Amino acid sequence: MRFNQYLTKLFCGTLSALLVLSICLIGCSLTGCGSDDDDDDDAITTAAEEAEAFDASTTLNDFANGVVLATYTDLDNKAGELLGAVQALNAAPNQAHLELAQTAWKATRRPWEQSEAFLFGPVDTQGLDPALDSWPVNRVDLDGVLGSGQALTAASIDALEDTLKGFHTIEYLLFREGNQRKAEDITPRELEYLTATTENLKSKTAQLRNAWDPSGENYTGEVANAGDTSTIYQSQKDAMQEMVNGMIVIADEVANGKISDPFNEKDTTLVESQFSFNSISDFQDNIRGIQNVYMGKFTADGQGLNEFVNGADAGLDARFQTEVQTAIDTIGAIPDPFRDSITAQRAAVQAAIDAVSTVQQTLENDILKLVLDSNFE
Amino acid sequence: MTKSNHPLHVLSLIALLCTLIAACDSSDPTDPEKVDISNKKFSGGETTVFDATSHAFSTPAPNLSADGLAKHLEGDVEFEAVFVTVPAEVNPGLGPVYNNISCINCHARDGRGRAPTSGEKLTSMLFRVSLPNPNSDGTQGPVPVPGFGTQLNNRAIFGVPPEGTVTINYTEGEFTTSDGVKVHLRTPSYEIKDPYQPLPDNVEISPRVAPVVFGLGLLEAVPEATILALADEDDQDGDEISGKANYVWDVQKNGLSLGRFGWKANQPTLIQQVASAYHDDMGITTSLLPRESSDGQPQYDGRGDDPELSDEILDVVTFYVQTLAVPARRDLDDPVVQRGEELFESAGCSGCHIPTLETGALSEVPEVSNQTIYPYTDLLLHDMGPGLADNRPDFRASGSEWRTPPLWGIGLVKVVNGHTNFLHDGRARGLLEAVLWHGGEAEQSRDAVQGMSASDRNALIAFLESL
Repeated sequence: MRFNQYLTKLFCGTLSALLVLSICLIGCSLTGCGSDDDDDDDAITTAAEEAEAFDASTTLNDFANGVVLATYTDLDNKAGELLGAVQALNAAPNQAHLELAQTAWKATRRPWEQSEAFLFGPVDTQGLDPALDSWPVNRVDLDGVLGSGQALTAASIDALEDTLKGFHTIEYLLFREGNQRKAEDITPRELEYLTATTENLKSKTAQLRNAWDPSGENYTGEVANAGDTSTIYQSQKDAMQEMVNGMIVIADEVANGKISDPFNEKDTTLVESQFSFNSISDFQDNIRGIQNVYMGKFTADGQGLNEFVNGADAGLDARFQTEVQTAIDTIGAIPDPFRDSITAQRAAVQAAIDAVSTVQQTLENDILKLVLDSNFE
Repeated sequence: MTKSNHPLHVLSLIALLCTLIAACDSSDPTDPEKVDISNKKFSGGETTVFDATSHAFSTPAPNLSADGLAKHLEGDVEFEAVFVTVPAEVNPGLGPVYNNISCINCHARDGRGRAPTSGEKLTSMLFRVSLPNPNSDGTQGPVPVPGFGTQLNNRAIFGVPPEGTVTINYTEGEFTTSDGVKVHLRTPSYEIKDPYQPLPDNVEISPRVAPVVFGLGLLEAVPEATILALADEDDQDGDEISGKANYVWDVQKNGLSLGRFGWKANQPTLIQQVASAYHDDMGITTSLLPRESSDGQPQYDGRGDDPELSDEILDVVTFYVQTLAVPARRDLDDPVVQRGEELFESAGCSGCHIPTLETGALSEVPEVSNQTIYPYTDLLLHDMGPGLADNRPDFRASGSEWRTPPLWGIGLVKVVNGHTNFLHDGRARGLLEAVLWHGGEAEQSRDAVQGMSASDRNALIAFLESL
């Protein structure tokens, strides 16, 4: 302690003074204090070089452009295809068209669930997450609107509560409880509602895409230029922490919310995407979202967090990549439908919870720590 | 070396550096010249979190026990729960009239709401209403408007008329600093549109944006004596700053208690704050407030299903807002920020925005007890002048008095909520506008800022952004 106080008095001031001191201490530890050994110089050179800050600009750019914007672009394209399928169903309501619309809903759901690994920025500040993905559906009010003479347009839907629009309202209309929907049971009024609310969903996905598009509102630039021209992130470290936080949040949500809540309560009303029996796919895509962020890859393979982690700790990188893939596979091993497996397949569900919890723990204990302990340019 | 190469011993070097820097931070008690800045970054004491991302306001206090964390996370789920029309399997009880359908929809990411932009729906702002109170002794709350109560519920479940909506108009004005810099200030005006039944002409309207909800347990743990010691209602010290305690209705005590929460310090405890938000904002009854907000109005459902929310949920949501972490201060070693902090003091801002307080013991929440915190508030009412007045008294708070809002985390509102709109009605579009709106007891401080050089004004803003 005495020694520390002495050092503190001596060197409190500039960072560079501390850097020199630290390097000296490392040199001392290698060679013995008081030694004038020539090796000291080598130690100083090496340490100074290696203390160079990590430039995360490529990682952040590839994340913002190659993962976030690419995911939202896919979401918007898939939403367009869903709208086309719903319009075809509306024009000719037969079972084949219903099944095409159901398939299109599931395809649109995939990029959305993957995007839940980065639920920050415009999706949140522009209220798009609740408008797209509110749960539960307000079925009492939905029945009320359907039974009324109220005009049904994308604009009139927009004025309704978020619990009367978005993915789950569309899901309810397309699949009904227990995935039992028959085309002949869908009323003309429901078809009208379905078309209008899907148009509304498409307008939201377009808004989200535009919010990140460099030729639109360019939130991409706020992330990619962290610590430089960004008005949101003062440092690259803050933006890197945002990336890791996003992954932690979805891992926690899947392990401790989406899977655990219905599993612990044995309550099927708590199951996500319960009308379509799409729960397992939803959960897998959430973890694939983590994989996308970590690897810097949606379609194009960019520089991911993996390269930053690998540079510091190759073993950690390899372990985490395995843990993520294991989580995806273990969720996939739960027999469909998930709502039955929470009671009939307890071991399989527990294994999935454990696998996702492992991902969460590595993110919290190792990868976040690594980001916080590192220097960035 | 490649830029992605981070051998472990470099991390050790960084760790050593951090240790030494930390050692530099602690002041030497034998050296009076040294300023102790070691604690100042820990805005919430041991509940402080180092996070300048969109999660800065929504992280559990790091000093929670395992049991405490589990309870906090239960509260987190309920804070995000979306309510629907009864009957329903999940989260019934919404309305019949309300302002929003979940806690998080107003307090997005536990953060700050804002006024809607043109064409946007009203989502994170609401309007209180009342009739003039013939009793002006401050012992009574606002007088309800028959058919509307004390809050305008602009939304309703299907088939039920909402109470009305509000249109907002802004008049642009200009404020010129002594060195000729023009700052645009917008003055809002409000009009209630489409009331479901006629409103009296003399209705009082008060706009409120959703405030941040972190750090509230710490504020609840500040001893009443500490707050009262800061009060100077009749300005006996002659500094033109009074500081007045509000005393408001305490449902559990069935009497008046010191008010701490809300824009006018009109809630005495967090459990009552939470119960009131369920009740007034979402139309959901609790054991504290078991009567529907619409009772006596045509919208009332008469179902007799109250309370709609269990005591367990009320308890975990209260605990949740008591135990959200406070984000750490940033850039304390930046000389511009340090200059700004000096100016904050010399301009007299810190006369109300008291930098530091000590918390006492809060029952069953040891995490927030006995902490040194940096909230920048005195939790007292101050006259802010006619420019900011809502002209709607609330217990002892006059129509121009507001509670000093805490400033911690204010520099992170942009990353968390994507905007920089401040004050009770979100009229200020940045920190400087917010400062320049200060009047009344803060007029001297406002004048001091007006008279500052551009670099000093920027330093003051840089300091605020470091909070």
